Amino acid sequence: MKRFLLAIFCGLFCLPALAAETIPPAPAKYFNDYAGVVSPATTAQLNQRLEQFERDTSSQIVVAVFPKMQSDSSIEDYTVRVAQSWKVGQKDKKNGAVLFVFTQDHKMFLQVGYGLEGALPDAICKRIISDEITPSFKAGNFDAGLTAGVNAILAATKGEYKGTGRTTSDGNLVIIGSDNHQSNHTLGRLNTGNYPEFLPILFIVIFVFIFIMSALFGRSNGRYYGGSGWSSSGSSWSGGGFSSGGGGGGGFSGGGGSFGGGGAGGSW
Amino acid sequence: MKKFAIGCGILAVLLIAVLIVIAIAGGSYNRLVTLQQGVNSQWAQVQNVYQRRADLIPNLVATVAGAANFEKSTLTEITAARASVGQMKIDASHAPTTAAEIAAFEKAQGSLSSALSRLLVVSERYPDLKASANFRDLQAQLEGTENRISVERGNFNTAVQAYNTAIKSFPAVFYAGMFGFVEKPYFAATTGADKPPQVQFDFNKK
Repeated sequence: MKRFLLAIFCGLFCLPALAAETIPPAPAKYFNDYAGVVSPATTAQLNQRLEQFERDTSSQIVVAVFPKMQSDSSIEDYTVRVAQSWKVGQKDKKNGAVLFVFTQDHKMFLQVGYGLEGALPDAICKRIISDEITPSFKAGNFDAGLTAGVNAILAATKGEYKGTGRTTSDGNLVIIGSDNHQSNHTLGRLNTGNYPEFLPILFIVIFVFIFIMSALFGRSNGRYYGGSGWSSSGSSWSGGGFSSGGGGGGGFSGGGGSFGGGGAGGSW
Repeated sequence: MKKFAIGCGILAVLLIAVLIVIAIAGGSYNRLVTLQQGVNSQWAQVQNVYQRRADLIPNLVATVAGAANFEKSTLTEITAARASVGQMKIDASHAPTTAAEIAAFEKAQGSLSSALSRLLVVSERYPDLKASANFRDLQAQLEGTENRISVERGNFNTAVQAYNTAIKSFPAVFYAGMFGFVEKPYFAATTGADKPPQVQFDFNKK
């Protein structure tokens, strides 16, 4: 009965949500104008500033301007899913934020990752949206509104984290695996799985097997295994690198951050 | 002598087979423990965001009560609902194990949700209050908290789903019950009383 109810629950809520929604792929830049409402000069300038901001502070701030929302959910539900799938922010600090703008819907939402909720509490987000961005958007000036918005977001998050001088997409190009903590995290996740835990036990089993066999047949054949014997080469895992898209200098690449629904939205 | 050796060989092979089974079972047992801890920590996160909402309420009540002639009945209602949420005795470190437990939690939180949304609707009638920076901030915080609640509830359901799937799958299905791994309940879909306040706002504006 319980399972039946669950099936109904999934049928009613999960499937339509999946069917009626498109999660756009992770953007290649920090400032993305898919709606074509921002001038190329402003786009390039803001993109460059946001990239520099990641070098300076490690926080990833992304702006995405879409023509229309591709979902039937509310904007706060939809944008948290999109931000989560883009993995904006570093994995350990979770310091990402994404400003979504949907020009035809006249709606926007600033999604804040867990690690920036202290620097960008909901009330501050609301103020940035309604005091800095909305007035210009109402006048149809997206350049001014987004510049003011980015300025305010950067000012609020400036002191929160220290940067490494590199962006995540730089990190993917330079070295994979040495001090790049993302690949370590990927390894950590692998190790909690079923398969690697079972490996050491398998080695023990093989040891026991060889011990028994050598004791049995070694003796009956009149010889023992020598002292050096069998040595396991160990189970050193060397994982590959991790990249959630992007690559190439100057591009954006998500660091693995996560979102919990913090932030605020508004309409104009 | 040769027969003895062969007998021992068979025994050794059997022993190895048993050890491999134990190894696989051990790995999957550890995975169950990890998943169970995941559910518990996600439950703590759910409680955390609900607590955040409860913590906002005294501030909200104080701000709203300052507005001239604010309806006293709404304020009384919300204070009572918050008190009942506060009295709820739920162990924060363990996710609820029965559907009834989760339903009791939902019921108390649901009454607070509906009291909150009524308060926000009523406050629409007080333009001075709405215009105050303090009230605007609180409103943004409340909306953000409702978003967080829905996100964490979703994450909780995902964690429970992974756990429930694992205890029902091979080989855990044979021994999960023996070690006390029982199926955990989900959050049900939100009922009418548990709508976030923001939705009410949209209706009001139109």
